[in-house]
Amino acid sequence: MKRQPYELANAEDGGAVFWKSLEEKRSSDGLQAMKEAEFPLGVSPDAAPFEGVADLASRPAAGDAASLLSDLSDGELPNGIVAQVSRRGFVKVGAAMTALLGLDGCVRRPVEKIAPYTRSPEYTIPGIPSHYATVVNQRGEALGLLVESHEGRPTKVEGNPDHPASKGAADLLAQASILDLYDPDRSTSPAQGGKAVKYEEFEKAFELLMETTEADAGAKMRVLAAPTNSPTFVRLRDQVRQRFSQARFHTWSAASDSNTREGARLAFGQPMHANYDYARARVIVSLDCDFLQTEPGAVRAMRSFADGRRLREPSDTMSRLYMVESTHSTTGANADHRLRVRARDVERYARLLAKELATAGLELGPVRGALGDASTDGIPDPWVKSVAKEILANRGRALIVVGTRQPARLHALAHALNAALGNVGQVVTYTQVVDVAEQDHASDLRQLALDMDSGKVDTLVILGGNPVYDAPGDVKFGDRLAKVKNTIHLSSRIDETSKACAWHVPLSHPFEAWGDQRSLDGTWSIQQPLIQPLRESKSELELLSLMVGGMMETGDKPRSGYDSVRDTLRQASRATIGFEKQWSTALSRGLLPGSASFAFTPSDVKSADIAAELAKAPAAKGAAGAGQVEVVFAVDSKMVDGRHANNPWLCELPDPMTKIVWDNAAYLSPKTAGELGVASGDVIELSREGASATIAAWVLPGHADGTITVALGWGRTAAGRYGNGRGFDVNRLRSVDALHFTDGVSVKSTGAKYELTQTQDHHSMEGRPVAIDATLDEYKATPNFPQYRTPSPRTLPLWNRRDYSQGHRWGMNVDLSACTGCNACVVACQSENNVATVGKEQVGRGREMLWLRVDRYFIGTDEADPKVAMQPLACVQCEEAPCENVCPVNATAHSPEGLNDMAYNRCIGTRYCANNCPYKVRRFNYLEFQGGEQVGGAPEALYGEMPEVRKLQFNPNVTVRMRGVMEKCTYCVQRIQEGKIASKRSGQPVRDGDITPACAQTCPANAITFGDLNDPTSRVTQAARRDRGYQLLSELGTHPRTTYLGKIRNPNTSPEWTKEKG
Amino acid sequence: MSSVNLPIKELGEIPLVEPGETFHSITERVAKVTETKAPRGWWIAFGIALSLTVILFSAVGWLFWNGVGVWGNNSPVYWAWDITNFVWWIGIGHAGTLISAVLFLFRQKWRTSINRFAEAMTIFAVICALLFPGIHVGRPWFAYYMFPLPNQMSIWPNFKSPLVWDVFAVSTYFTVSLLFWYVGLIPDLATLRDRSKTKIRQLVYGAFALGWRGSNRQWQHYERAYLILAALSTPLVLSVHSVVSFDFATSVLPGWHTTIFPPYFVAGAVFSGFAMVMSLMLVTRMVYGVRSIVTMQHLELMNKIMLVTGTLVGYAYAMEFFIAWYSGNEYEKFTFINRATGPFAWAYWTMISCNVISPQLFWFKKLRRSIPVMFVISIVINIGMWFERFVIIVTSLHRDFIPSSWGYYHPTLIDMCTYAGTLGLFMTLFLLFIRWVPMIAIAEVKGVLPAADPHAGDDHAKEREHEGDESLAHGADAALVPGE
Repeated sequence: MKRQPYELANAEDGGAVFWKSLEEKRSSDGLQAMKEAEFPLGVSPDAAPFEGVADLASRPAAGDAASLLSDLSDGELPNGIVAQVSRRGFVKVGAAMTALLGLDGCVRRPVEKIAPYTRSPEYTIPGIPSHYATVVNQRGEALGLLVESHEGRPTKVEGNPDHPASKGAADLLAQASILDLYDPDRSTSPAQGGKAVKYEEFEKAFELLMETTEADAGAKMRVLAAPTNSPTFVRLRDQVRQRFSQARFHTWSAASDSNTREGARLAFGQPMHANYDYARARVIVSLDCDFLQTEPGAVRAMRSFADGRRLREPSDTMSRLYMVESTHSTTGANADHRLRVRARDVERYARLLAKELATAGLELGPVRGALGDASTDGIPDPWVKSVAKEILANRGRALIVVGTRQPARLHALAHALNAALGNVGQVVTYTQVVDVAEQDHASDLRQLALDMDSGKVDTLVILGGNPVYDAPGDVKFGDRLAKVKNTIHLSSRIDETSKACAWHVPLSHPFEAWGDQRSLDGTWSIQQPLIQPLRESKSELELLSLMVGGMMETGDKPRSGYDSVRDTLRQASRATIGFEKQWSTALSRGLLPGSASFAFTPSDVKSADIAAELAKAPAAKGAAGAGQVEVVFAVDSKMVDGRHANNPWLCELPDPMTKIVWDNAAYLSPKTAGELGVASGDVIELSREGASATIAAWVLPGHADGTITVALGWGRTAAGRYGNGRGFDVNRLRSVDALHFTDGVSVKSTGAKYELTQTQDHHSMEGRPVAIDATLDEYKATPNFPQYRTPSPRTLPLWNRRDYSQGHRWGMNVDLSACTGCNACVVACQSENNVATVGKEQVGRGREMLWLRVDRYFIGTDEADPKVAMQPLACVQCEEAPCENVCPVNATAHSPEGLNDMAYNRCIGTRYCANNCPYKVRRFNYLEFQGGEQVGGAPEALYGEMPEVRKLQFNPNVTVRMRGVMEKCTYCVQRIQEGKIASKRSGQPVRDGDITPACAQTCPANAITFGDLNDPTSRVTQAARRDRGYQLLSELGTHPRTTYLGKIRNPNTSPEWTKEKG
Repeated sequence: MSSVNLPIKELGEIPLVEPGETFHSITERVAKVTETKAPRGWWIAFGIALSLTVILFSAVGWLFWNGVGVWGNNSPVYWAWDITNFVWWIGIGHAGTLISAVLFLFRQKWRTSINRFAEAMTIFAVICALLFPGIHVGRPWFAYYMFPLPNQMSIWPNFKSPLVWDVFAVSTYFTVSLLFWYVGLIPDLATLRDRSKTKIRQLVYGAFALGWRGSNRQWQHYERAYLILAALSTPLVLSVHSVVSFDFATSVLPGWHTTIFPPYFVAGAVFSGFAMVMSLMLVTRMVYGVRSIVTMQHLELMNKIMLVTGTLVGYAYAMEFFIAWYSGNEYEKFTFINRATGPFAWAYWTMISCNVISPQLFWFKKLRRSIPVMFVISIVINIGMWFERFVIIVTSLHRDFIPSSWGYYHPTLIDMCTYAGTLGLFMTLFLLFIRWVPMIAIAEVKGVLPAADPHAGDDHAKEREHEGDESLAHGADAALVPGE
């Protein structure tokens, strides 16, 4: 249809004329004149929708556009105003328009929607994060944390400085746990038979089930839970038992520390935790105990171990660590002497040592007679004689610790030895356990499985854990689970077990749920949630409350997690007055003050029981059958038992010893590899008693001969998008009787190859002065030994050096002697600085983005038994930075405080800076690693997608880098700025310790110090001035701000030791 | 045949243009190529070259879309084929300038037959080279940050950075080379214009000929301009590749941080440039039948230059090793031992065999004058020179100071496509050049014909000796005329 011309009505034509005022009606001409006088541009207030706009337009101040327009108008404007447009004016407007259009075209502006806080939450200041104290369970140790929350969004985990288990430090798992919270593959709702249902439906069905179960007092109901250190859990469990007197509770964890527990039960008649003070110990004999990495309480142990070896001057003393182990662990890497034996031979060594100690006069009672005649095969004489001598010379300060994988009797023997040596109360203290009822995990699980098999179980509630995946092969948990009618699995995701269960209930992340935990030393902490559950999830406590039922407590409703925890605490405190204060103190400090009074001195060691147990199992002897080896199932430092399998930070974190990412592998010694005819990357098949598993082999220098170490927790099939199919599942090789290591595994090469990816594939320092070390004696003789190997340059610089003597001069110092290589700093840095993960394929291409890496070097000519040096290396912030003068666009430049800053916006990505960086600490975003549009990325690529939920983790104070720009360590410049702003606001100067980068903050060993080098009293200045300090690649004249302290080893120098060693 | 048609004997006894060539025959021979239909071979070659160019643009498009990660570059090998190709192409460009400018200033008359060719090659090679600094950066849309453009943040490029020097050096080089080439083309374009039979040709060539009429005054200006440009270009021969070598020499990386780099790079550039001219020349000479203009004499002289520069390059290789040992610097020593024996030893020995050993064959006159031999060797040299840059860049980077960050480098398909694509772009431009532009400098070649020599064939040899070279040059110049 043709559009009708729109004609203005004209009064003269008799049309309807709209007028506004009587004046207008009466005298349109006069009004027009008035209007023109006021609005010379033809901008009429009639036309303006808002009066204000008209006002604005009329104001001469807003007149640039107006004058332009007046210049423009050439003819008569519609309302009769005559204006001239000069050519000049036209060109002016044209130019302005073009410029505006041009500017607009320059920048791609993504569509972004913002929403203001219409009602501001209390205590929330946008941009100022708050920190909440909470706690996580790290293999039985409650690690106190402070979690940083930005506008209600937890982003970063720190250790709680007030908490004795962490003292401000956190391990790599705690650091990475924040990403588990934002795991995109967490289940979103309960599911019945794989079908999502509303939580209310589950609740109804569950309550109904509980009511029917009540009929026979739960005789056919079982609950399987992970070992707990939560008093509330224990209390609620007792309440459930009240309701279902016949129900049974079972405990299972694949990373089981039952042996430790049972060993204490054997030694003292009741389970208890032993707490070791490595700082005071002079001699430490570790029997397969990786106390610096995978054992419970590693954070505390690391701090205390490092304290025992911290050297400020040559006259200081340090402890000596003897390590007897099969695999090459982080603790082994830090040992002064390491004895490589098969895991089963550790006990043989312990018996020999105990015998030697007894012979030398240590009173062991009946234990002495039960030690048997262990063969000394493969155990050098000084390892028994000289070590025993040293232990006896350090009575009360000579610690013997045993790893969780060693049998209970060995733990008991160690308790007996520690007691006899007078260590108890000196370097060993004991505390009670929270859950006295806990049984040996493996036999407990077997019992459950047998009951399930024989139809004694109708209802099975699994509170967390993933037994279908991680139960030992001979338990056949998955098969037997099918025989149970009602199965309910509480789990963070629909994992292997959830798939086999009738019901799945989402499990809350520790940062989403209330709880409480007691540390190994008894400290009672509240697990305080940081955020409402992101999904319809419940915690173990909430599900237990549901089992207790509404009627048990005061109200009709089941108690919430919050109420349950408060109830426990209230009952324990027995204080009706002042409870609220106690509670709020506990929340804000993260622990209940005075709760660590749990420690007690146990009654005498039950020597007779230990002796009987030792006599029952004469020391194993002899070799395995031909073609058979021992296999050790190690708890993985990243995955633990597989619970963190879908955490890309952890997947991509280089293993501390092998630097392998995204996989586990079967570690074996060069000699064993030669005998078996396998090389690194060969897929081998391990089989034992009908069970078999394939896994890629990896030759690890320093591994014991005749034994293979495989790490648990890999090869998940239902972990999520990141974890599925990574690594190899070895759980089915395990059995209840051989949970931690086993003989008689036959090894067969499958002929297949598997690509294992490492971040560091060169293991030698090539004789270069990189991670410089010396023995204690050498240090005493030449305290400044590292400087001999790193001479300062003799050539003059090309330009005058800048003066940094005013203001701040930030610097860092890394004590290689303290650093254990645990990797916590690496994850902390990743978490703080929004560092991308890139996937296995990209790491294989050498494109990992970690700003901070821990280099691991093997030292020595004997590749079977090398020494190890660990060196954390990030940007060393050179004062004369080679990266800076080659950048064509000034994208990397020096700040007045001497930081080498990156301006990401300016970086065009020539990568010359990285080429010219002698430390190779710069990282380039070769692709859009933080998500975004990506076409044709490799199928394994992780960077093509970034689920929205993961973005919640980002630190808002750090730019998320796009592809094509260079990035590197900034010394956490955002924290420096925060500290400086705080200092400016308070008017107080920045004090030493106010500003701490993420790596230094989390370091459990306190190996990293950071501060102002212009402050003569700061810790970093003290450290940098220490005699064994050196600058890495000092001869290049880069003047790095990060300096190192040479590593000191404390080998045994007694004549009988050195004689034997040659 | 009258004595007039005897060629000038300037270099020894051998004529620069084979006997029988006249002003007319040369014009015919050269201009005909642009006037007749292209032979089938040209179309086939053009098809292949154009396909490769399409591959280049696809590869670059892919690169722009995804990022530098589509290449094999990694940490620590942040530069690999990208910069290797850049330096290689820049090097190839060098022969052009050397032949046209330096030999011109040194009055090497034999250059006339090959200079046009070499200059065109320079320009196309520099175009290919210039591609890489632009595309190898992580965010190519901000590559203009390298230019000193005023901006509201008052951030200037970092003039300490050799990459900025590079921007200036290479763009200057490109501009001057283009001008030099174009100025040299003017008389010949006028010839083509005058021979044009269609309106379009007349217009196009006419426009590019800038109204050249061949008057004495025009010649005078032309000669002056050409001389000035030659004088301007000559230092560029040395400066461009010296500056390119600063990209490496000013770094701290062992294997890069070397004072020998500037002369070594220039020698290598001339070496590879001559090899490339040779490869192309041999094919064109055969296809278009300009054997009489580009004679065996020319080829042999070029081979001699290749022998010299190849040996210079060999000396540089040896000297690097010597200095690495003599300096006592552990890192330096390691780098060079690693080059010869490490994971990239294959590349190193390819480089040595191609660059040092193969040109030694040119000591033998028979081989020096054998077309198949020189063709093969010229190709081998080009391969070797590519490997030289690869060895310098990749083997120095892959193992530097801190052993924990050592790595290896594998190229990807996109790397290969990009490289092959630039060869295609080069060939495309080159084929278009052959098709539409006189590939031999007609006017200049005429200058070395006997007809251009007022004293040709007479018995004034002795007189000539007295007068010296200058009068001869003048005499030759005076006789230059455009067209017939």
